Amino acid sequence: MSPAAARAIAGRVLRDGRTRTGSFALLFGLVAYANAAGYASAYPTLKARLGFARSFADNAVFRLFYGVPRDLLTVGGYSAWRIVGFFSIIAAVWGLTASVAALRGEEDAGRTELVLAGPIGRGPAFATTLLAVLAGGCAIWLAMFAGLLASSLPAGESAFAALATLSPAITFLGVGALAAQLAASRRVAVELASALLALALLLRILADTASGLGWLRWLTPLGWTEEMRAFTGARPVVLLLPLAAAGALLALAAGPARRRDIGSGLLRAPDSRRPRLRGLASPLALALREERVSLAIWLSAIAVYGAIVGALSTSLNSTDIPTALQRELHKLGAASITTPAGALGFYFLFFTLAACLFTCGQVAAARREEAEGRLETLLAQPFGRLRWLAGRLVITCGGTAAVALTAGITTWAGAAAAGAGVPLWRMLEAALNCLPVALMFGALGFLAFACAPRAAGGLAYGLVSVAFVWELFGSLLGAPHWIVQATPFQHVALVPAQPFRLAAAAVMIAVALAGGLLALGAFERRDLAGQ
Amino acid sequence: MHSARGVEAEGDTPGGEPAAIRTRGLCKHYGETIALEDLDLSIAPGEVYGYLGPNGAGKTTTIRLLLGLHRASSGEARLFGLDSWREGASARRRVAYVAGEPSLWPALTAAETFEFMARVHGTTDVAYRDQLVERFRLEDAKKIRALSKGNRQKVQLIAALATRADLLILDEPTSGLDPLMEVAFRESVQEASARGQTVFLSSHILSEVEALCDRVGILREGRLVDQGTLAELRHLSARTVEVTFDGPPPELPKLEGVSAVQAGENSLRLELAGTIGPLLGFLAQHPVLALTSSEPSLEEIFLHHYDGLDVARGS
Repeated sequence: MSPAAARAIAGRVLRDGRTRTGSFALLFGLVAYANAAGYASAYPTLKARLGFARSFADNAVFRLFYGVPRDLLTVGGYSAWRIVGFFSIIAAVWGLTASVAALRGEEDAGRTELVLAGPIGRGPAFATTLLAVLAGGCAIWLAMFAGLLASSLPAGESAFAALATLSPAITFLGVGALAAQLAASRRVAVELASALLALALLLRILADTASGLGWLRWLTPLGWTEEMRAFTGARPVVLLLPLAAAGALLALAAGPARRRDIGSGLLRAPDSRRPRLRGLASPLALALREERVSLAIWLSAIAVYGAIVGALSTSLNSTDIPTALQRELHKLGAASITTPAGALGFYFLFFTLAACLFTCGQVAAARREEAEGRLETLLAQPFGRLRWLAGRLVITCGGTAAVALTAGITTWAGAAAAGAGVPLWRMLEAALNCLPVALMFGALGFLAFACAPRAAGGLAYGLVSVAFVWELFGSLLGAPHWIVQATPFQHVALVPAQPFRLAAAAVMIAVALAGGLLALGAFERRDLAGQ
Repeated sequence: MHSARGVEAEGDTPGGEPAAIRTRGLCKHYGETIALEDLDLSIAPGEVYGYLGPNGAGKTTTIRLLLGLHRASSGEARLFGLDSWREGASARRRVAYVAGEPSLWPALTAAETFEFMARVHGTTDVAYRDQLVERFRLEDAKKIRALSKGNRQKVQLIAALATRADLLILDEPTSGLDPLMEVAFRESVQEASARGQTVFLSSHILSEVEALCDRVGILREGRLVDQGTLAELRHLSARTVEVTFDGPPPELPKLEGVSAVQAGENSLRLELAGTIGPLLGFLAQHPVLALTSSEPSLEEIFLHHYDGLDVARGS
């Protein structure tokens, strides 16, 4: 392959992934800065940090999301715990989606065939593509490094912490590359790789929360990141583990990438079958049929984490709460996180986020139908476009309700098993409490779909991400009250710790209704838009 | 050629059925680009209408407006008297559509796709559909993702034809079909026409249009530049006349309708529009050995309209 061809392929991959890479880089950079700077300003003294550390260090639910805290007395140690642990999961998501998109996505679209029809070897094309994806990863690393540096953390350790955070991205880049060889479509490849990520996360959670299972940390790329101990006695040698894993996965993937038929996968579903006539009665039924696998994945993931969070809700003891911690909790809005109801209320915020992201997924799915021309096929039939969009809105509402309900019931079941004594109806109320904000973001996402179809997915996900990061870090940064209050998540009550806020919920429902109606109105008027 | 039932549909027949397709001053602009300008079409029920034009001339735009997929910048389009934007769903009850690019659900098999499309459309002749599956030799147990482009095109065609809809709107329906299937396609369109169905065939395959269509419209840069039955188009266009003389050809005086004269060693070749009388009168005074007069093919008519135009320009 000529250097010019390699440059062309790499340039294409970088350009195709620039929105994804850019937004992740921005997220990593901002969060790294805001989190470290926020901790330094919220807990300026050693005494304040000691209080914070005593109360949070042994809370199992915090460990679930962030991993084991090694040292909460320094800004670096806090960052290592709060950012590195959580964002290693996000990095893994980036790694798998980026490599699947660059490999399987291109192949699905028929462009790989076009490239390989030229005087280009398949091995070099595969390697060049992955190197370009990796270059995108370097950009994210750079952004996070800069963010930590800007919050006045030392350069060397910041660089290593960013590397540790991004290390699962390297492993999952390999996972994505292998999944792209196994699956015959982008969607299935993403599902396969995500299943592996869910397993990796489950192993880390078990290792971090169950006593005696700490050794499990060595079995998961997310655990390796923890074992690198950024800011708290760095162990760079552990970096060899993700490198070796990625090397092995890529070596496994390289064989089929060179030899298999383009357009096929190693896991072949049969091309023919007897017709299955269920779910063909209407476009709504077909949409449900098409989305059923993804819905099942959502619900089972929510159920597993709901049960775990519920079971861990009794783990925070309420001996004494230092004033600094009270201030911190007050800023986050939690009344009494030390009771099971308080802990559940606080952690249900993450299920609220999940419900919001679910609605974004529905916006993206609707847009995919349009971009790939199937909506045109459908609307050339005697089927009104308002009916179609109304159907998608109904599916979104139903699916979001299912996600929230699953979270409520499984969390209750987990809590009941641990003897937390939170009644079922309170958890159902918590589930209900998720809905207004999620439906509001969903409606705004569909409004974007109706007004700016090509940007709809990005706008929907972007809005939720910005609002949520705002919620997590706005209060810590000591921003003025009205700025902190600008994110809708500030107005979601922490049920069951707090009573359901009817007024705020009513406003959000009203916005959701208005957004939905405006979306219907705008969609009725616009031209269908292809890719 | 197909039997010329080409009644010029100037409007809705008095007391009868409204035109299958009728547009008045239909325009579509995409930002600065003018995709379609002031289109007036009137296609009577039962007509087979060929819609010709190179890539980017505005054929697909016209169809998207007819189907209510895009909204007209000005003007109106009606299908059987119903506004295709405001009353789109009702209008499309009598329409079946084949897109140039087949966009179907990859995880469904062809048979499942037929079932779904039949449910959405509401009417389907199942026996005829089975017959079409035979005729087009489609393996309908296969998933769409496993089908080639030509086979996916067949799925669309079969689903559309099986509705027996009053109006078939076909956008370059034979792209991707092999010559055998092209024959099957022509047979199916002729069947539809014999049943009284209206066919709107957008194409740039001239032989196909010549074989199937009663009436032809030629689109250029978003404007309808010519329209009529093939006979009318031929009549209006120049025919080619070749005359062979016993000796060198005479100097031709200026005659009405004669153009593009080329003189050979003992022959003349010229284009003639209008009647041949004056030319014959002149030639009678000279030693003519042979005279041939050939009607223009659709290809020549088509190329005539694109003479000197950069047809590769996209829209």
